[in-house]
Amino acid sequence: MKHSKQLYPPLLVRIGSVWFRHMRVYTKNLISNGLPPFLEPLIFLAGIGLGLGLDLGSIYGIPYPLFLAGGLFMTASMFTAAFECSFGTFIRLEFDRVYDGMLAAPVSANNVLIGEILWAGSKGFFFTLCVLIVMSGALLVLSVENIFTNFLIVFIPVFGFINGVMFGSFSLLITSFVKNINHFNFYFTGFLSPMFFFSGVVFPVHNLPPVLKQLAEIFPLTHTVRITRTLCLHGLQGKYPNMDVNYLLRADLLLDVLYIIVFIVLISYLAITRLKKRLID
Amino acid sequence: MDAKIVIDVKHVYKTYNLLKALDDLSFSVPQGRCFAFLGPNGAGKTTMMKILYAKAERDSHPETIVKVFGYDPCHDELAIKNMAGVVPQEDNLDVELNVVQNLKIFSKFYHMSSRYAEKRIDELLDFMELSEKQKAPIRELSGGMKRRLIIARALLNEPKLLILDEPTTGLDPQVRQLIWDKIRSLQKNKVTVLLTTHYMEEAYQLAGNILIIDKGKKVLEGNPRSLLQEYIESHVLELLDKEKFTALPASLAKKVRREESGERILFYCEDPKVIHTIADKLAKGTFYIRQTNLEDLFLKITGRKLHETQ
Repeated sequence: MKHSKQLYPPLLVRIGSVWFRHMRVYTKNLISNGLPPFLEPLIFLAGIGLGLGLDLGSIYGIPYPLFLAGGLFMTASMFTAAFECSFGTFIRLEFDRVYDGMLAAPVSANNVLIGEILWAGSKGFFFTLCVLIVMSGALLVLSVENIFTNFLIVFIPVFGFINGVMFGSFSLLITSFVKNINHFNFYFTGFLSPMFFFSGVVFPVHNLPPVLKQLAEIFPLTHTVRITRTLCLHGLQGKYPNMDVNYLLRADLLLDVLYIIVFIVLISYLAITRLKKRLID
Repeated sequence: MDAKIVIDVKHVYKTYNLLKALDDLSFSVPQGRCFAFLGPNGAGKTTMMKILYAKAERDSHPETIVKVFGYDPCHDELAIKNMAGVVPQEDNLDVELNVVQNLKIFSKFYHMSSRYAEKRIDELLDFMELSEKQKAPIRELSGGMKRRLIIARALLNEPKLLILDEPTTGLDPQVRQLIWDKIRSLQKNKVTVLLTTHYMEEAYQLAGNILIIDKGKKVLEGNPRSLLQEYIESHVLELLDKEKFTALPASLAKKVRREESGERILFYCEDPKVIHTIADKLAKGTFYIRQTNLEDLFLKITGRKLHETQ
């Protein structure tokens, strides 16, 4: 028997081609697709950061806009990955039949779904990078803070990717249960919106009442937000001596990393196993 | 395994919930031949195609053997798909991309270099007479163009096996003839073709062997011409309005096989003289006489009434 390399394209090419298809489609409308990640953080920062922030002044030892910025890196990544792997995947699966086309080529259902998740991660990376650029610029212009002085921020887009992978695979799992596209409304209003408010994005979790605090620890977003806010703020402790210790690099962040790893492995496994049944008769 | 057998299927079963889609189906296709599946809607044709390229999973059964190029789709789907081209029943072009982009994305799946892919895409667009539509969005293509583009997509990798699931359903005669010509020219290059169709004419024109399948079971298999000779009378007289017809004399009635379908009565007979004797007693314009074709055979075998899955 011939070596398998000659029989069909290698794994990376197969997954990469699926990824490439999504990238090709996304960049076809670069202006309309690329603008939101730049505009959204500005709207948020202006609306909540300035409006609320001016009254609040500082929160746990840092200016509120700076606190909020530390949380918004992950929400952009969450929403884009969630849209991509819920509505996007459902349309490709049920209406456009894109996967049926792909599965006639030397690509397996696993390859297709892994490509899907990695694409969600890539969008998470791109959106987080946009938010980082816009946000740090805005904070500089508003003379709140210059976060560029802190080299740890270069790792924030990496967590944008990881966060995208988390919400991509979680949304695929949701999609595997959905028979009617309108059911995604439950997912967005019932799950993602509450998560936005109870994951430490707009206000800190560690001061919530115990029940809500435990709930917040269950939400995946809490963990990536905690890590990226630390990456954003750690280097600034010299300037803000009263900064809460929760925003400094510390060993218990490894628990968040562990949560993320377990979440991705478990959820992507479940999502792929379940969705495969809808790709293969 | 005989090296010349491209598809070897023995005792395949497939159940969807409680529905038996395939029930002990066996067949084999030698290299370079065209093999056609004929059967009513819901007979299991598409399911069988899908099992061959791992788009559907067969039931596990101790007697089952499925080999394509010697590979079992359960274990080596990628090797099979790398050598085969698939034209599915439903159009599944990427509507977000235009004609050329659709083919380019697929060339990535086959790991083709971009230079080779561009050359190949030009050839195929030319072969399928789509060169003028290169930049057209998929939504602007007619049904026939979409079909031709899907065939071009299936040919990108120069497949040794082409799986065509109802390639010409819903197309006009010009496009259908064009597609048939293309399939014939592929066969000259030793491409093995597996076809499903409702069009008896299509099977007759293209296939060296046909398999009639009904309710997941094989009903008949063989060369279309010899099947016609063996299983159905050579001539038929169709009476257009059964109410205007009184009975045949007993001497003639013995010699013909009578079938009724809606308003029509059909008399089948091997001997054209008998048919003409009946015709002599009928008024002009109330009947016509023709040779029997695969459709008559098909209806004889699978019955004239619709069943649930149709």
